[in-house]
Amino acid sequence: MIERHHASAAAVCAVALAAAAVAAASFSAHRAPDVLVPGAGVTEVRMLSDWFPGLDGTPGDTEVYVLRGAEPGGSMLVLGGTHPNEPAGYVAAALLVEDARVARGALYVVPRANASGFTHNDPQEGAPTGFSFPLPDGSTRTFTYGSRATNPVHQWPDPEVYIHASSGQSLSGNETRNLNRAYPGREDGTLTERVAYGITRLIVGEGIDVTVDLHEASPEYPVVDAMVAHERAMPLASNTVLGLELQGIGMSLEPSPKNLRGLSHRELGDATDTLAVLFESCNPSQGRLRGRTDEALVVEGKDPYYLRAAALGRLYVPFDEGGVPLAERVGRHLASIAELAFSMGMESEDEGLELSGVPGYDEISELGVGAFLSPAPEAGS
Amino acid sequence: MSHESLLFLLMLGAFAAGSFALRLPVSLSMMLASVAAMLASGNGLGVRHLVEGTFGYVDTMLVIATAMVFMRAVQESGALDAITGIVIRRFGRRPAALLPMLMLVAMFPGMITGSSSASVLTAGAVVAPALMLLGLPRETAGAFIAIAGILGMVAPPVNIPAMIIGGGIDMPFVGFGAPLALLTFPLAIAFSWALGAGKARPVDPAAAGTGPGEELYRRYGPRLFLPVLLVVALMVLGKAAPSAFGLGLPVTFLIGAAAACLAGRRFNALAAAKAAIGDALPVLGILAGVGMFIQTMTLTGVRGFVVVGALSVPPALLFAAIALTMPLFGAVSSFGAASVLGVPFLLALLGRDQVIAASALSLVAALGDFMPPTALSAMFAAQVVGVERYSLVLRKLLVPSLVVVLWALAFIGFSTSIRGFL
Repeated sequence: MIERHHASAAAVCAVALAAAAVAAASFSAHRAPDVLVPGAGVTEVRMLSDWFPGLDGTPGDTEVYVLRGAEPGGSMLVLGGTHPNEPAGYVAAALLVEDARVARGALYVVPRANASGFTHNDPQEGAPTGFSFPLPDGSTRTFTYGSRATNPVHQWPDPEVYIHASSGQSLSGNETRNLNRAYPGREDGTLTERVAYGITRLIVGEGIDVTVDLHEASPEYPVVDAMVAHERAMPLASNTVLGLELQGIGMSLEPSPKNLRGLSHRELGDATDTLAVLFESCNPSQGRLRGRTDEALVVEGKDPYYLRAAALGRLYVPFDEGGVPLAERVGRHLASIAELAFSMGMESEDEGLELSGVPGYDEISELGVGAFLSPAPEAGS
Repeated sequence: MSHESLLFLLMLGAFAAGSFALRLPVSLSMMLASVAAMLASGNGLGVRHLVEGTFGYVDTMLVIATAMVFMRAVQESGALDAITGIVIRRFGRRPAALLPMLMLVAMFPGMITGSSSASVLTAGAVVAPALMLLGLPRETAGAFIAIAGILGMVAPPVNIPAMIIGGGIDMPFVGFGAPLALLTFPLAIAFSWALGAGKARPVDPAAAGTGPGEELYRRYGPRLFLPVLLVVALMVLGKAAPSAFGLGLPVTFLIGAAAACLAGRRFNALAAAKAAIGDALPVLGILAGVGMFIQTMTLTGVRGFVVVGALSVPPALLFAAIALTMPLFGAVSSFGAASVLGVPFLLALLGRDQVIAASALSLVAALGDFMPPTALSAMFAAQVVGVERYSLVLRKLLVPSLVVVLWALAFIGFSTSIRGFL
């Protein structure tokens, strides 16, 4: 006869297994990559492992979309999804892939720079697994909302303290999975360091003139609605900020700190010839002051607690009942990229990058992201 | 009342009902509170979220479980009795010198790992018998090693809450050594004397009953201490040469436990490991429950309600908000308090010396390890000194905690002057 405590233990195990099965199904579904629809401007789709074979077959390998113009000119690399919980960068990069055309020069786009980070959410952040946009034809496109860091299933365990390889700088252990603390990367390092190394190899191999890392920051963070530039990129960044101001898009310009290591704008600028800049837009869904965390917060950017914090003077950006919609943040990134490309031509005619088809700030704010996305291909097509 | 405030009350009510009316373990009460808020907020059972929340503590659980196995192995091998015997014979007649020494020894693992639990469960367990032989009651000895745990966690060179707070505003962990040393070492020495005052007395080794421990030492010699020394060496090497020795704490503790099986008195390793995991299970369960609780708070907006509430106080009361909310939020996790409240508070303290302010905030956040229901540092300290109810240890920690808060706030208030001094 089964003893009573054995029966209760069996019941608890059964409930735990059922919960594990439900959660496992959700976690597995999260790993399926989104389908992007390359537009007519895409001339080639390559993988990051083409520049660093050490990534081949690993969860760190990721698509590199190349949009090459008919005329030679300057080159720009756009990194989206360095932090997959900062959706404006990912969606802006996806729109470049689907809509942009290049007449002169070459545009390289990596929408999911940290592909592993897209396969999970940060524990205790209560984040949604994805968010959707309605398209004019009535269909929807869904994008993954991921984590700031590489999936621990792919890189584990974290050390207690992360020591940045080339500088020896100490950071808390979980930063060991943060791509934007891993540059310039290491050939034989962790998965995150190898992804950073792959991006560095791409820049060196293709002779990329300008590198843009797309990010978002919480409204209470001092560097928000901002461009951070390596000292060599300052003249180009200044022209870009001026051009944005003329369009009515406020953007602050921050120098890349020399004592904060591992970041793209510092290390790529130091280790390669590229002019490295980073954009930050304002994302309430990643902040510590936010209220209910769901897909609506990600897409609409409205939050009652940020409204209260704004009234208390605790924020670094204006925040009203309208919130900061994702469409507006994506528009800000795209307008900055277009202006940066324009400024490249002003700096040097040989290094010009002529872009077209990139949705403008006003039109994307008005019509929404869905208006500029292609319908997803039918399953099996 | 806002929806989030009602949800917060529901979570607290469900937790209280689970703990007191249904007499459930703390871990299950936290799960009950999480499920109640999930249902009330329209998230269904939120199974994926509940499981995901627990993942935040997987590494901590491994550290605690393996540290418990290591300590049990060291205890069974006879090393603790032997160390106590030797310490009392050498220094037992000079408690005023011995107490600060024991405090610094108890802090050491926390200083190099950033974990108060590692400190309490390793060096804390080593010094506890000596403290009790000096005359400290069990509860006071527990408070002694618990406070050593959090001071060790904050003291340089490794302070994870400060790294988390700095990381939130892109401030590198550079220049923290001197402020953290000034924050912690004077307190450590003062507390060692204060907790021993009126209780610690010179001990005659012959009358202290340390004979069996010394007999073990005579039989096995210094090799008895090799497991402890090996673990300390691996911790230090892990920091000095991480590429070669960065094994991580769980593997380090398991190596130490294996060494303890061979170093001294023979014992049944499997039975010792099972007993250690049995002792650790309630705490591991609490961590899982806390993970669910935080995930639910964040998902439903309760976290925002708490954080913005803390920041809503007038500037004059900002210090009071720091003193109250950070240790209270530490009830769910001191690292969580550093991240969720430490970063916004540091931003609210712009204009002061940021390194000193972040250092002081990390000290206040660390007090969360005394806050029930998790109270990791106090709970493990009670376990180490053999006190059944950890609330008895907590009582002894009330005044030291108050002193710690006032000391940290003074550092924030006078951060600019202190910078000049440094």
